Order: sequence, then structure tokens, then C-alpha cells
Amino acid sequence: MAAIVEVQDLIKNYYMGDVTVNVLKGLDLAFDEGDFVSLMGPSGSGKSTLMNILGCLDRPTEGNYYLRDRDVAQMSDNQLSEVRSTYLGFIFQAYNLLPQYTVVENIELPLVYQGVPLDSRTKDRCIALAEMVGLGTRLDHRPLQLSGGQQQRVAIARALVNDPQVILADEPTGNLDSRTSVEIMEMLTELNKAGKTIIMVTHENDIAEWSRRVVRLRDGMVESDVRNEHPLGFR
Amino acid sequence: MDIRDIPPVPPLAAATGFEGLHKLRRSFVLAVRSLWLHKLRAFLSVLGIIIGTSAVIALMAFGKGSMQDALEDIKRQGATNIVVRSVKPPDEGATASRSFVASYGLKTLDLTRMGTFGDSISKMVPMRVFPAEVRYLDRMSNGRLVATTEDYAAVNKLVPMSGRFLNEEDNFRKLNHCVLGAGLADKLFPFEDPMGNSVVIRTQEYRVVGILADRMPTGGTGGSQAAEDYNNDVYIPFETAKVRIGATVVIRSSGSRGGEKVEVSQVTLTVDADFETSEGREKVRAVGNAIKGMLKDNHLREDWAVSVPLDRLEEAERAQARFTSLLVLIASISLFVGGIGIMNIMLATVTERTREIGIRRALGAKQRDIIVQFLVEAVVQTTVGGLAGLLFGVILVFGLPPLSQFFFDTNLPAQLSWQPMALSVGVSIVVGVVFGLYPAWRAAKLDPIEALRHD
Repeated sequence: MAAIVEVQDLIKNYYMGDVTVNVLKGLDLAFDEGDFVSLMGPSGSGKSTLMNILGCLDRPTEGNYYLRDRDVAQMSDNQLSEVRSTYLGFIFQAYNLLPQYTVVENIELPLVYQGVPLDSRTKDRCIALAEMVGLGTRLDHRPLQLSGGQQQRVAIARALVNDPQVILADEPTGNLDSRTSVEIMEMLTELNKAGKTIIMVTHENDIAEWSRRVVRLRDGMVESDVRNEHPLGFR
Repeated sequence: MDIRDIPPVPPLAAATGFEGLHKLRRSFVLAVRSLWLHKLRAFLSVLGIIIGTSAVIALMAFGKGSMQDALEDIKRQGATNIVVRSVKPPDEGATASRSFVASYGLKTLDLTRMGTFGDSISKMVPMRVFPAEVRYLDRMSNGRLVATTEDYAAVNKLVPMSGRFLNEEDNFRKLNHCVLGAGLADKLFPFEDPMGNSVVIRTQEYRVVGILADRMPTGGTGGSQAAEDYNNDVYIPFETAKVRIGATVVIRSSGSRGGEKVEVSQVTLTVDADFETSEGREKVRAVGNAIKGMLKDNHLREDWAVSVPLDRLEEAERAQARFTSLLVLIASISLFVGGIGIMNIMLATVTERTREIGIRRALGAKQRDIIVQFLVEAVVQTTVGGLAGLLFGVILVFGLPPLSQFFFDTNLPAQLSWQPMALSVGVSIVVGVVFGLYPAWRAAKLDPIEALRHD
């Protein structure tokens, strides 16, 4: 299996006046295509910073980042925007749907910025995705009319609409109760079974149980990197 | 349903050059929607633009209307006319000795000299004005006795209501014919038809051959041109006045008797030129200067004055230009203030929607997309504001004159023209772009990570 995400000697410094904060201290990681990875670690360990860099929202101070052979470490803001809209899917803790848009309009948003024409084929795909996540009857609802679990499912559909190479989930169950969390994790597992690469940040051990590989960070370094031979969804 | 059964992402459209247009249309729809979400706020923020635009359109229309009125007035006087008048020199008045006859002013000889100007003067109308009592039976009215020739009617745009104006024959044969102004005719003949009747002027009888239609008095400007009210005039042939009345007017006042000897009170010359063209105006001015030179050469004293209504026309036009530029200034100020209002609201909007911006950026929006989004929102606001102002301004233009007529009994002329309308709406759009640009730029420059974390 070829690595779809690979970072080499990744360093990220933040400059606050005269003080330099060294957040990532030379990470080397490679994630295979079709993998389901949990990033864990206490706050301040650098997992959010790593996630931002993997999500092409931020650039490393030093080091390389290859997203399937594309060297994205030193791309311009415009190029990074294109990478995000074309190759990445985002799932956030706070769902981050646009409140003034309907379910379908939220789902199609990444395609808008990719420049896909909004014709009937696009619409069919968005509706099919909404049906897949179980919101086929709520296509014209606004986010505020939906429960947290439903909103997160819209967000999952939105993350899938551009057929991304990697799905980045930042504490996807952080705002949900345990029963809904299980639903969401089952859904992510289904996607992973269908071949989607998923990188997920979490600090709950029972959520990490669902993934195939658990990477723990501490102080900007990899503390442990363990394969989970029996993820919850595969038992 | 399995992810593998979902229809694929449609391919990017082949480059047609219209993708930008398509995106812009979408931004437009979204902008309208997000403004609709905050109707009151959007309305308040464009209120400045609405007021500015409507004020400009209304003021322009009223300004243009009243200016047009003034210009019409001057044209009524005859824009290519030159008026030469006899003026009593100040030193003569000061002497004021008893039984003194002051002799001054234009002479018949001057008329002959002006006649030599040839083709450039198409009409020459001499006038001798006397104060006069006009009587019919027991009725009497004070009016102005004007001795003049046939062309006077044409030059002063007088139209006979019945009968005719004086003609060449009246003048040549020194006939005792007269023409009455409308007001005078009404006073002297409230019951009878004046036509064919005789009125008594200065102890002599004149037969009425015509009555003039009512005519609006001309507006005067201080000193150079007196206002003239033609409705109380009585007209007799110029040559008749020469032989029957002569040049001298005797003024009796307590303890003294003065007299004035004036051969011609006023000559109105019409220059054969088109005042709409600069050559025509040049010609009028040249003739005026030539007459001044001629009078200077032949008169010892400055007992004459030449006035050119064209100067007033040009003065009025200059006033209009000044007025217009003043309005443009006011318009710019009000639209600038309106623009600041827009900028203020847009900055607040950007802060309020920081998270939305972060989400959009995370999902792949480029900085350019964010700029376009907010810029379109600002421009939609100001455009709608400009159009609303246009509508309101037009309502003012049509609504105010009847109100002012009703409440203040003043005539408020208005003339709408498309230039200020197009200009103010155009400027509104530009204001949207200019004042929307900075907030949009701020929005685009937000750090996506920071923006996503924003509450």
C-alpha cells in the first residue's frame, strides 16, 4: 500500500514577539491509503497543529508534506485552497454548517469552490449523499432545525461530496452523546471499509478504539504509534 | 446505501470563459439572500445612499427647472437683441435749477447712424416713452405712452388679441392710431369693445386699431435692465409722436418746473444671429461694441447705455454651471457619508461572519472568492439604495410642486433629466465597490484557522 499522506521532518514554530514556540519538533509520519488513523495526545501536544497542516490550512515552518506525490508544504494560498476543495474532506467537532443554507446547499459548497457547474448531476450527487447519511427527508431543512447528530451527518456528506482522497475529522464526536457518537463512528467505519482514508483527532480512548491505527503525540514528537488489530467496527 | 453507489462528481465544465459570470451570478443570489436575512439593517445602512441620491435628483430637477425659467425669460426678451437707452447724466440732475430743460439722450441722428450697420441688424425699433394719462369718457388710467414702429411687436414678442399692431403706413402718414395693452383696455373699456373707439391722450384723440394679448412681464436685473410690464402700455406711431408731442416732457412739481428733452428713449436692435452658436454670440457682442464705439464718438457725455440681454443669458448659464458643480459637491459628500455607512456595516458583518469565512476557506474558497462575495454584497446594497433613491427623488420631483403650490402658492418649476439619474445611480455602484473593498479584503485576509475558532 502506497502512502497517501507523508510528512518528513515536519517542524512548526510559532513566533510570539521574541518568543519562539516550537510546536512540532520534526515529525515523520506516513499514512497508507485506506487507513483509519486516530491522532491522540494531551492538549499542547501539537495534534491540532498537525491537523491544520495536514488539512492544508497551515504551512509547516520546515519539512515536507506529500499528499499523494504532491508536495504541498510550500504551496501558495491559492493552490492550498484548490487542494482543499479537490482532495480533502473536513469534519469538525462543531459541525460548522452554514446556518443560512439548506442541507443540500451545505453539501454542495465544496463543489462550488472547486468550480463544478451546479447542474442536475451535481444536485443528484448531493441528494444521494444526503440520503446515504439518512437525511433524504430533510433536504430543505436548515441546520438549526436538525439535531447535533443529524448536523454531523450533513457535515459527513459535505466532506464526501468532492470524492476526497483523505477525510480529516477533528473530534467528530466531541459534541455528541455516546449513542449518537456510535452512529457517527459506524458511518465513518463504513466509509473506511469502502476505501476512504480517514485521519481523526480525538482524545477519547473508546473513540480511538474504532480506528485501525493510533498515533499518540506528546510535546511535538510521536510518543507511540500502535496498530489496532481489532477495531470496533470490524469485529 | 453504499458510498460506491453515489453518482460521481460531475467533471469540471469545459472552459468557456463564462465560469466567472456563473460564479458571479451565484454570488449575487447569495448576497441578496443574506441581505434579505437582515432587511432592516441593510435598509438602515443604505439610508445615507438613498437620501443622497434622491436629494441630488430632486435638487437637480428643481435647479434645472428654475434655471430654465430664467433662460426662457431672457429668450422672451430676445437673446440676440441689443438695447440702447437714453440715460439722464447724473450732473444734470444735480443742477436742478428752476425752469431748466435737460437735454440728453439718443438723437434721431443716432438712429440714422445705426442704420448704416447694414445686414447684421435685422430690425431696429426706436421708442419714445412718455408718462401719460389715457382717458375714455369719464374713465382714466395712468399708463405708459410708447411711441414706436411696426417691428416693436415682433421684437418684444407682443401678439394682438384683436385688430392689429401699428404698421408702416401709420408711421409714414403720422396717423393718430393707437394700440392698447390688455390691462389698459380692460380698465378703460370694461363694457364696450374698444376697437374703433377713440381715447384721449394728452388732450389729443387717437383711434384704437388693436388690443394686445396679455403678456407676462419680463424680469429685470438691477440697473442694466428694468422690468417691463407691457399690459398698461399704449402704443402710437413714432413719427406721430414726433409731430404731435415732440421731444420735450414738462414735469411740474411744487415751486418748480422742469423739463426733459429726449428724442429717443430707447432703441432695440435685433442682430441677425443664432444665439445657440458661439459665432452668433460673438456677432451680437461685436455689434454691441460697435454701437458703443459709435455713441462714444458722437456724444459728449455718457447719456446712453447699451445692454445686451445675451450677457444675462450667459450669466444665467454660468450660474447654472456653478449650481451644478455645487450640487455635485453636495452629492459627493452625501454619497461619501453613505459609503462610510456601508463600510461600517460591512466591517461589522465581516466580524460577525468570521466563522462563516473560516468554514468557506476550509472548504476551498480562495481569497478571491471571499472578496467577491463581500464586494457583491456591498454593491448590491448600494445599487438597490441608489435605485430606491432614484425612485424617491422622482417622487419628490412630481410630488413637491403641487404641495408648494397648495401651501405656499409658489410655483416650483422642475425638470427631470436623465444625466443626474444615471450619474447618481452609477456613483452609488462605485461607492459600493470603493467602500466594500476594504471590508472584503479584511475578510479575505483572515487566517482560516483563527476564523474557524471564532465564535
